[in-house]
Amino acid sequence: MRWIRIFVSGLLLLALPVLAHKASDSYLTLQVQGDRVLGQWDIALRDIDFALGLDPDGNGDINWGELRARHADIAAWALSALTLERGGTCPLQVTQHQIDDHTDGTYAVLQLAGQCPTPEGALGVHYRLLFDQDALHRGLLRLELDGLTRSAVFAPDTTRQSFAAGEVSHLTQFGQFFIQGIWHIWIGFDHILFLLSLLLPVVLIRQAGHWHAVGRFRDALHEVLWVVTSFTAAHSITLSLAALGYVSLPSRLVESAIAVSVVLAALNNLTPLISQRRWMVAFGFGLIHGFGFASVLAELGLPQQTLVLSLVGFNLGVETGQLAVVAAFLPLIYGLRHTQFYRQVIFKGGSLLTMAIALVWLTERVFDLKLISS
Amino acid sequence: MPNHWLTGLFPIRVSTSLAALLLIMSVGVPASPRTPTNDAQVLETLPTRAGDTAARELARLRAAVAQTPNDPQRVEELAQRYLDLAMARGDPRYVGYAEAVLNGFTTALPAPLLTLRGVLRQYRHDFSGALQDFAAALALAPDHAIAHAWRGAVFLVQADYAAASIECEALRRMNREALAGGCLGLTQAYGGQLEAGYQTLQHTLERVSNADNRLWLLTRLGEVAAWRGQPAQAKAHYLEALKLGRDDVYLLAAWSDFLLDNGQPAEVARLLATWESADSLLLRLTEAQSALQLPDAPRHRQMLADRFAAARARGDTTHRAEEARFELRLRHDPRTALRLAQENYALQREPRDARILLEAAIAAKDSAGAQSVRDWLSRSGFEDARTRQWAQTSTQVGLTGEKR
Repeated sequence: MRWIRIFVSGLLLLALPVLAHKASDSYLTLQVQGDRVLGQWDIALRDIDFALGLDPDGNGDINWGELRARHADIAAWALSALTLERGGTCPLQVTQHQIDDHTDGTYAVLQLAGQCPTPEGALGVHYRLLFDQDALHRGLLRLELDGLTRSAVFAPDTTRQSFAAGEVSHLTQFGQFFIQGIWHIWIGFDHILFLLSLLLPVVLIRQAGHWHAVGRFRDALHEVLWVVTSFTAAHSITLSLAALGYVSLPSRLVESAIAVSVVLAALNNLTPLISQRRWMVAFGFGLIHGFGFASVLAELGLPQQTLVLSLVGFNLGVETGQLAVVAAFLPLIYGLRHTQFYRQVIFKGGSLLTMAIALVWLTERVFDLKLISS
Repeated sequence: MPNHWLTGLFPIRVSTSLAALLLIMSVGVPASPRTPTNDAQVLETLPTRAGDTAARELARLRAAVAQTPNDPQRVEELAQRYLDLAMARGDPRYVGYAEAVLNGFTTALPAPLLTLRGVLRQYRHDFSGALQDFAAALALAPDHAIAHAWRGAVFLVQADYAAASIECEALRRMNREALAGGCLGLTQAYGGQLEAGYQTLQHTLERVSNADNRLWLLTRLGEVAAWRGQPAQAKAHYLEALKLGRDDVYLLAAWSDFLLDNGQPAEVARLLATWESADSLLLRLTEAQSALQLPDAPRHRQMLADRFAAARARGDTTHRAEEARFELRLRHDPRTALRLAQENYALQREPRDARILLEAAIAAKDSAGAQSVRDWLSRSGFEDARTRQWAQTSTQVGLTGEKR
């Protein structure tokens, strides 16, 4: 040892900037959704060699064959240094061995999968790889827990860390479901077609057996507000009841009923059965549409800790999406209301087409077939 | 849920897919693990071959320590070997190995092991912990010269020159000439006596024949000569050090700083062209390339940013001085540079650390931010004219929002 070097200042001898390499890190990414665990663990080959020895022929190189021969040992060694707990220990397995290149060399990549005893509650991670042999080793964790991403560093003095599932920003949770609400009304073509069918006639007035253009925008708007509001109120009620578990209807029945509602709404434009109080139609069928949304929400999964907030967010998203459609639609049809084009092509032709599509949906849903849906 | 026609085109769970993508992108791991197909494909070359003598010796020591982790002699030998390798190779993994070996020693540490632990702590910039260890070592073995030397070095970093000179005196009394000379020379140079410091180092150089020690002394002589305003003399010292023909990161860094200060970036770009792997040299290389607007500059800037980010990710805060310089000179972000320089100066107060703080404060037009350096200058009397000039300038910025 060259003792004089002790007085190297600043870059005091062993301070990192002087050194060419980097200390040891492993990269662990985990996705924990409910009780399912998926992950990927990148560990430097150099570190594995230091701990286990990977170079039996001693030539200084590690090749794929030598690595493959130790895969079982590597898996056992790695898994013995990592413990996940969610309501109890989550047994993990290595499902695949690969490699990847990082800035400081080649790493072994272990694909992980596992199952936890419970789908809820805090996740405990106990990481202790290499610490008894390399005190500068760090485990860099990227964890996605129930949809939220966070990161952590494991060091010899922080081997256990706990991640609470419910520490989600309420605003974020609300926002996420709000977006989902908008999205699902926009891709919910049956809901959209129902709404549009109810709205097509608002710029017209039935008088003496014929349709006439409505005089003032205010009247059309008035009608729109009644229809949309009753539809909204109705589906909010049943969505909430179903999402919170108070009412439950078989989904095939619900979907078929929704298709029927679209048929009838379109039919009503062609042979007006109900020209007054369309809002009652909107309300009545809105109740059924609400159950349709509830099944979407069930698939997304309402988080326990922010149940009501997420439900409200989803509802508001649906309303907002609806309003966007209406706001785009209404001025258009109001502008066209005098034209024959509107009365014949859009109003009559559109309603016919809608009815046809809805009839196909009805057939699909009742008989569990796939005719036009993917 | 019914399947709508166009559902197949849209991901139902937009947010989940986005989150997965962000996760992958944010990890910094290239999302491209692969499975090789050829058993003979070489994946990694190890730093030591299992067969060579050094590696065999190391393996023997490791096995010995594994058998008896509380044997002080074996532990000391192995930890020392690791530290030597760390310095020779510039590889911090060996520092981690040394620390782990010391951690495995469960009974009370004897003086040599305490000193080693102190060295490891100062590496992490745990200076108070290091000083405790050195003090404990000296309590057990007052003649342990190495502990005195390391303690003196830490005091110099902390700008406590009175305490440092006590250590230098202890080394002199123990007749450790080279160590004492190095200690005293720096204490004088930092403490407002550049001339005396220069003479001390020069005298020590005349008595030292070991090449590594000469290299170190010549490098410090170059720095002190530059502070004294004697560039020709400084250059002579640096060139003599380079002529010793050893790759030394510290020498190259000091020489590059001298060249950059004297407006010779081309020389730096040429000198450091192959030193990308050493962070401190990459920094100076990139500064030179940026000054010359060479095509590699943007790539190197990105490399530096990535390295600092990786260090931050693992919680490593030991190179804020370098990062401050990066932010100031390459990213042109004086506010961030000033913050980092201040954080650095809280722990490390050598002239280099003072300089980056002054430069950042001037650029950020924050006069108050450099107060700690001005205090040090008045206490120590450090004589480098350029540093004193910067300190003067730093009092004039930020008062009316512009330099007067």
